[in-house]
Amino acid sequence: MDLQDKKTSELSCDLHDNSDKNERKLALSHKILMSVEKPGRYVGGEVNAVMKDPSKVEVRFAFCFPDVYEIGMSHLGIKILYGAFNQVPYFWCERVFAPWVDMERQMVEHNIPLYALESGDPVGEFDFIGFTLQYELSYTNVLRMLELAGIPLRAADRKDLHNIVVGGGPCACNPEPLADFFDIFFLGDGEEVDLEVMELYRQCKKEEKGKEEFLRMAAQIEGVYVPALYDVAYNPDGTVRSYTPREGAPAVVKKRVVLDMDSAYYPEAFPVPMIEVVHSRIAEEVLRGCIRGCRFCQAGFLYRPFREKSIDVIDAQCRALCASTGYDEISLSSLSTSDYSRLNELIDRLHQWTEKDKVSLSLPSLRVDGFSPELMERIHSVRKSGLTFAPEAGSQRMRDVINKNVTEEELLHTVDVAFTEGWTRIKLYFMIGLPTETKEDVLAILELGKKVVDAFYGNKEKPKGKAVEVALSAAAFVPKPFTPFQWFGQDTMEVLREKQRELTGNVRSRRISVSYHGAKTSFLEAVFARGDRRLCAVMEKAVEMGLHFDGWDDQFDFDKWMEAFEACGIDPAFYANRTRGLDEVFPWDHLDYGVTKEFLKAEYERAYKGLTTPNCREKCANCGALCYKGGLCVEKREDMV
Amino acid sequence: MKNVRIWFKKVGAARYISHLDLTHCMARALKLSGLPVWYTQGFNPRIYMTFAMPLSLGTSGLRECMDIRFTEDGAPLEGVAEKINAHLPKDVVVWGVTEPANKLDAIAFARYGIRLETEGSALLKDKIQGLFARGPVTVMKHGKKGDKEFDITPYFSGMGMEELGAGCLALTVRLPCSVSGGVNPGLLLEALKSYEGLEPCGEITREMLLLEDFSEIS
Ligand code: SF4
Ligand code: SF4
Repeated sequence: MDLQDKKTSELSCDLHDNSDKNERKLALSHKILMSVEKPGRYVGGEVNAVMKDPSKVEVRFAFCFPDVYEIGMSHLGIKILYGAFNQVPYFWCERVFAPWVDMERQMVEHNIPLYALESGDPVGEFDFIGFTLQYELSYTNVLRMLELAGIPLRAADRKDLHNIVVGGGPCACNPEPLADFFDIFFLGDGEEVDLEVMELYRQCKKEEKGKEEFLRMAAQIEGVYVPALYDVAYNPDGTVRSYTPREGAPAVVKKRVVLDMDSAYYPEAFPVPMIEVVHSRIAEEVLRGCIRGCRFCQAGFLYRPFREKSIDVIDAQCRALCASTGYDEISLSSLSTSDYSRLNELIDRLHQWTEKDKVSLSLPSLRVDGFSPELMERIHSVRKSGLTFAPEAGSQRMRDVINKNVTEEELLHTVDVAFTEGWTRIKLYFMIGLPTETKEDVLAILELGKKVVDAFYGNKEKPKGKAVEVALSAAAFVPKPFTPFQWFGQDTMEVLREKQRELTGNVRSRRISVSYHGAKTSFLEAVFARGDRRLCAVMEKAVEMGLHFDGWDDQFDFDKWMEAFEACGIDPAFYANRTRGLDEVFPWDHLDYGVTKEFLKAEYERAYKGLTTPNCREKCANCGALCYKGGLCVEKREDMV
Repeated sequence: MKNVRIWFKKVGAARYISHLDLTHCMARALKLSGLPVWYTQGFNPRIYMTFAMPLSLGTSGLRECMDIRFTEDGAPLEGVAEKINAHLPKDVVVWGVTEPANKLDAIAFARYGIRLETEGSALLKDKIQGLFARGPVTVMKHGKKGDKEFDITPYFSGMGMEELGAGCLALTVRLPCSVSGGVNPGLLLEALKSYEGLEPCGEITREMLLLEDFSEIS
């Protein structure tokens, strides 16, 4: 072969050396990358990833997402904070994701520490190690990541002003099961408070202050909870007696709220993954909070008050993000986008340029009463393939208890419209194990499914030649802090399984399918959602036993979890299944999210009486969130003047 | 309408993304480039792109190409590369833009570089030479119609070999590579494993796409 002469092999040497002089180093070798399932998760190098010169930054922040890349990269919060931190020239925020089990094995075997995607530098070198806490079942991954980084798990074992471990996100509203491992939790919106704490750290570093002094000072910033500064006492029956602050820490820590969504920081660009992730699209946050007080929904209470962005700002932010990412889909995100007060006007405005630019719009979820053919025409949805709604409960009685103000009539009207428009697949989400639930309430889920099927056959304009498919999905209810059901003892796994059997055993139509989701994972979620500091020992044990990725069915190992509880002498049912007394002190009572305990108590009592509560737009229920003096709470009052 | 051939390399971090992921990166960059790219017609218009030959996950490509179309006949080619590069990941780099001379389906071969690295084996070279001297080297070839035994000797026995240092070898080999199929350079690594029990780190680079007469496609 003519190729094999000396000259070409010299050329080939040359060609082999494809390292640009300024090429970013990869933290892992080619051989290791080729040995795992999706190497693209571990290499970084995305468009808009922020690179800085480490010698020119003063504070380095490792933003850790305790799940795999594809999930973390689809999360909105990380994009906002990544941009906000990196705007400051002397801060550098990098991303870290949990390595999937195959890569974790390789890293352990080859002694490779957890690293940040941008620089490839070990996480152990960072000033801050920040976790977003979205889900109780990701806690083991948090600890696993610290372990992979080679960082002592317990905050008390990290003595220096370095490797400050911080956490934020919804689970920070009761972070007690993680309290021993974290130095700081951020309560509420992170855009401002995180930066203030980083700035304080920078000053402390300059003035050569110690970690303890830094934490004492940080605890004075609103929205900062330093768990080590609180002593916990317990009653003989195992419940909490008191939280006592030390060293000037506030008795009650208030969450931070960014009131003006228009002036709040929003990124103009974010890293665009090179590989397919869960959501390959732009997320534009159009509002924060929710006007509806569904009693099971923690987010609905945590993120009060309801605050909208103006159309002008949304329009400008969408344009900027399209220009920086090249995505052709914008998702108008929030807890409940159909509640945006001028949704049609907003879509009109965006349509002025999105159609021309071949960009489509989508809504993350649809409310049963927010569905109209016109709206569906104008937003991108997986056309005709399937529609999803969440009535949450089968009977009207049950929906009143949970304050899901959706009627059967509305649902049947909506699906009827959908059938006329050509849809044939409807998926409905429900919960089982709700407070006061009876067998009849459970069976009403099937009846509702049946009525949807009947609505299809009764519709004269339904698509010809197609059968209807109704998928009913039932998740086990998990009571959460800061909701009216925070006192409720979760159904035991036996009761939940019995209810699941009722569901699956009584399907009378071939057009209906029923699926349910894990009683065991929900049980564990319930334990940690309302747990206290004594669970830290269980967490540690679980990680020691190799538990991780508990949110993934193929990794979840319930029996091992029970072993971990047993080994620590802790009864998980105490946390999950025990109905709590109305006067019980909760492990999160010293954290203040605006919504008062009195209000939640009143809502709990109303629930048991089957009384609904109007949404914030209809009538203020005086939940306490007015204390922030902003958002809808105030606008409503101005309207009334 | 004008046909345009885009020449690019896919190296570094970008080696680890699939061909489909690459097409998405390219589509986003072309969209942002502001160039007069032609979209396919129909219900769901997409930027027209035809790639010469997909690269396997993990393989670098240095002189890869793809075809697009410009809506205007007179659109200049100067400055096009910069406009696309501004929106591509750092490790996907457009380095040339031409009007195509050959059809993409005229590609028949490709030249590959294989860099083998193993801990402390000056014997690597001898082992490879020995392997092909002994006679047929069969591995399982994974094809559309299932796996079958395949003798790689005719394809690899004459490859170029250069020692770059202790335990580090640079190989050069030309293999069939066309729309109707080809020989995967990774088969050599499989043979080394099954015949010699060697599992060196093997980094494969596709250096050039060739026509029937071994000249580079243009
Ligand atoms: S509509 Fe209900 S379930 Fe949905 S976010 Fe609001 S409160 Fe929660
Ligand atoms: S204070 Fe009133 S309007 Fe504001 S969140 Fe609470 S219930 Fe809604």
